[in-house]
Amino acid sequence: MSSEPSIFFSDVNERQGSFLRRTFVVGGLTALGVVALTGRLTQLQVVQAQDYATLAKENQFNFRLVLPPRGLIKDRNGVVIAGNRPSFRVLIVRDETNDLDQTLDLLGQLMPDTVERRRAIIRDVNAAARFSPVPVKSDLTWDEFAKVNLYAPELPGVMADMNDARFYPFGGAFAHVIGYVAKPNDRDIAAIRERDEEVPQILYNPGFRIGRQGVEKALDTRLRGVEGGNRVEVDARGRVVAEDIGGSRPAVPGDEVILTLDADVQNRALEVFGEEAGGAVLMDVRNGDILCMVSAPSFDPNLFVSGVPSRTYRALADYERRPLLDKALTGTFAPGSTFKPVVGLAALRRGANPERRIVCTGGFYLGRRFACHATHGVQTLRDAIKNSCNVYFMTLAVEMGPDAIAVAARELGFGQTYDLGVGGQKAGLVPDTQWRRDNPVRGDSKWYPGETPSYGIGQGALTVNALQLAVYTSRLANGRKAVMPRLIKSIGGVEQPPAAAVTDLPFDAAAFKVVQEGMEAVTDVGGTGFRNSQLGLGPVRMAGKTGTAQSRNYGSGSRKGAGRPWAQKDHNLFIAYAPIDNPRYAVAVIIQHGGMGGGTAGAPRAREIMRVALLKDPEIRARIEQSGFVETEDPGAHDVAEVTPLPASVAPAEATSPPPASSDLPQ
Amino acid sequence: MTASALTRPGERDRVSSKLAEIDWRLTGLLCIVAGVGTAMLYSVAGGQWQPWALDHMVRFGVLLAAMLGLAMVHPKWWFRAAYPLYAVLLVMVLLIEFTPLGYEPVGAGAKNWLNLGFIRLQPGEFMKLGVVLALARWYHNHTANDARFSWKLLIPAAMIGVPFLLIAKQPDLGSAMMVGLTGAIIMFVAGLSWKIIATGALAAVVTIPPFVMFGMHDYQRNRVLTFLNPEADPTGTGYNIIQSKIALGSGGLLGRGYGLGSQSQLEFLPERHTDFIFSTLSEEFGFVGSVTVLACYIAIILISLRIASLSHSHFGRIAAAGATGTFALYVLINGAMVMGMAPVVGVPMPLLSYGGSSMMTIMLGFGLVMATRVHRYVELPKGQIL
Repeated sequence: MSSEPSIFFSDVNERQGSFLRRTFVVGGLTALGVVALTGRLTQLQVVQAQDYATLAKENQFNFRLVLPPRGLIKDRNGVVIAGNRPSFRVLIVRDETNDLDQTLDLLGQLMPDTVERRRAIIRDVNAAARFSPVPVKSDLTWDEFAKVNLYAPELPGVMADMNDARFYPFGGAFAHVIGYVAKPNDRDIAAIRERDEEVPQILYNPGFRIGRQGVEKALDTRLRGVEGGNRVEVDARGRVVAEDIGGSRPAVPGDEVILTLDADVQNRALEVFGEEAGGAVLMDVRNGDILCMVSAPSFDPNLFVSGVPSRTYRALADYERRPLLDKALTGTFAPGSTFKPVVGLAALRRGANPERRIVCTGGFYLGRRFACHATHGVQTLRDAIKNSCNVYFMTLAVEMGPDAIAVAARELGFGQTYDLGVGGQKAGLVPDTQWRRDNPVRGDSKWYPGETPSYGIGQGALTVNALQLAVYTSRLANGRKAVMPRLIKSIGGVEQPPAAAVTDLPFDAAAFKVVQEGMEAVTDVGGTGFRNSQLGLGPVRMAGKTGTAQSRNYGSGSRKGAGRPWAQKDHNLFIAYAPIDNPRYAVAVIIQHGGMGGGTAGAPRAREIMRVALLKDPEIRARIEQSGFVETEDPGAHDVAEVTPLPASVAPAEATSPPPASSDLPQ
Repeated sequence: MTASALTRPGERDRVSSKLAEIDWRLTGLLCIVAGVGTAMLYSVAGGQWQPWALDHMVRFGVLLAAMLGLAMVHPKWWFRAAYPLYAVLLVMVLLIEFTPLGYEPVGAGAKNWLNLGFIRLQPGEFMKLGVVLALARWYHNHTANDARFSWKLLIPAAMIGVPFLLIAKQPDLGSAMMVGLTGAIIMFVAGLSWKIIATGALAAVVTIPPFVMFGMHDYQRNRVLTFLNPEADPTGTGYNIIQSKIALGSGGLLGRGYGLGSQSQLEFLPERHTDFIFSTLSEEFGFVGSVTVLACYIAIILISLRIASLSHSHFGRIAAAGATGTFALYVLINGAMVMGMAPVVGVPMPLLSYGGSSMMTIMLGFGLVMATRVHRYVELPKGQIL
């Protein structure tokens, strides 16, 4: 290689010396490096050890929210009307799926309805945190649940589990009074923020449901319960490795709510409505307990629990009979002739003689003719109630003016809302001269005498709801006790007192007697409600009052609306109490656009509802059975058509009535 | 030392004499570190010998025997093998690049394996030793002046640069870097002029940032950028570093106990049996445990450098120092990486991490170091030794 001698001593020395120095430097630098590493370890493991220990714990332990079971809602006899049932869900964990698209394809084959929600699912899954499961579908059928489990090996990252879902065993019967639960939405959260309250974390849990109407909404915080937590040890994939019992806190179930309702009465009430629209309320006249409060047509609240499909919701919202409207509390109607006892009582208090005779010639004249539905001839107050003579009450009304009627109406229960513990009540309207001054018609704030005759027969601006009618009927029946309605019997085992102490109404007992005799005559031979208000329970009989409220101006056309389209027919009302000799229950039924007067639509339904209530009352039942009456069939088993014998003239009207909601849907 | 059998002619070539000259402190330290590695692999497998601990132990046993065997090999054979071995390895790297024999394991991100039909290997791993031997031979035959500052330095530079570029192109950046830095250490200890060192350092400072931005693959650039700011993407590329730091920090002074490290046992720590095994160790045995292992490493390095400095031949000095340098680089780079002081590059912690290739490189390297010690009085002449 080189011409030099192979080893120069000096060169070898120089090479070796330089190597030793340089190796020393390398050794030193390496040692320095290790010292630097040690320094870093000191920083991490000694100085910041606590911080990192906390981070490790946060990794290791997860607090899994445990939803509390929502409080049960039961009827007065302990029958569950809102409960919880197990529900199966499918969840996806994105980081454990191989290919989200492929997984959703296969899921779509198992559950075709996930296909249309695919975009929403992908959005949810992508928005979720690493390894946190996202519910894809809840409320699987057992079949679907089994299929998902069967295909589990081919569906990495997909799992099925079970949670509690709200369940309403009676479907639509309690839909309006109980309401329903649904997923909390942005508006719920905004509403809580508006009240300056902190939004509970539980609201963001995908399994949580918030009360949306009726009792579920009003008592939501009591029904909700307190969430628990499971402290679990998880691995990096979020799988639970172990449960830390010491750090876990059990969920506290929501309070149980017991209502005054009776499931049998309520179910029967919805049943007898059939396809008719309206509301019915049945009350205990002594303590105000509401045994039945129903609105028809109804809807299935179970649909709303896991999210109602928009098509179904539109069908419900667009149907002209308005199933979503609570016609017992929110819907207000003119009371029609059911209001006549108010006018009678108001007149009696002013000293009117119940035996005063007024001649009905088929019309009342005040500037123009106000028609009566018949020519009744000579009438006393009792006769006028029995025959529902318009002329008699128009005469009384015009004589005393609107303000006296209004005072009596309010005392008897109209024009106000009651503290039932649920929202949604409309007060309706009890007009008087003050009201007219506050609400002038085209700048004219004068009450004209021509408006009073209509007031006397429960028409005009006057509107009431079914609950008010029931309260009013109770007060008529129990002999001047100002009974207040009660819906919520107990919350969490604590009895809820009635809204107010029962006071006597400022009327003579004798005046009530006259009105009661009139109402007894209504359901007796020759009365307007005779045919359809026979209970068939031997000595236990029902007294009542029919009502027909016009829902439009008749012009010169036919009255009552036979042959008219549904929306143009009159409202049909009936109020009743029973037993006559010792009143126990009062019922009010409003049939929206029920057509025909004289209690053709309202009375038979009131009778059926009343029958169930009477037969369930042990005292009354004993009395009925003593008199030899044997119940041969379940009171709930009556066929609706059988109990509502409609006149033949109604047939064409039926043909023009709208089809049921289901046929509105595209097939 | 002067009373050693090696000093007595006729006795020094006996196997028994040679065995007596093996450095048992070094061997013992290697066994300790490998034993700790086995214990940690047993722990991260959830207290199971499978799938890693038993493998690791058996592999170390075989390679320890190989190391002791190589220690018996006379330096002249190492010297003769240096260039052919280097050439063969270079051809293998070329085969990977230019023939279908090279392949990329699924998900590896680099085509760094060679499939010769009867065997599959990573020539890039062995290239570190190839470069060490080739450079040792070259420096053995050249003067101090040549090594300090001369045009001849282009030859060792090319010996380093050609495999470096080929491996970097695969792109196995970790191995390429190890080859390059090992070569640099050898050139340094061989006596490279400070002027060249300063110029090279300056050139590196100027060229590295543009290289990171434009010359790297996305995943490599991500690693570097993640290192600079791991919190920018805590669930993605920054996840490894963050979880590793949590594992280290939560270990505290005395550790969380053997088999009780939640970061490793619950798999929050990625690559916990390979690149991040030091984090597992630190989590379970704390500051005391990790510093003890670091002390073992520095002891191994200093003993090996001492062995290099005691050799009577320049070849032995350079070769032993080079092999030691490779080992030191492994320790420092992996240590800095798991502690969040360097980007995540695929460099394992020697003898702790699970993995056959790196352990083989390490143990063959120590075979060379040990051979240098056993034959420290052998003086190789310059030129070809046949």
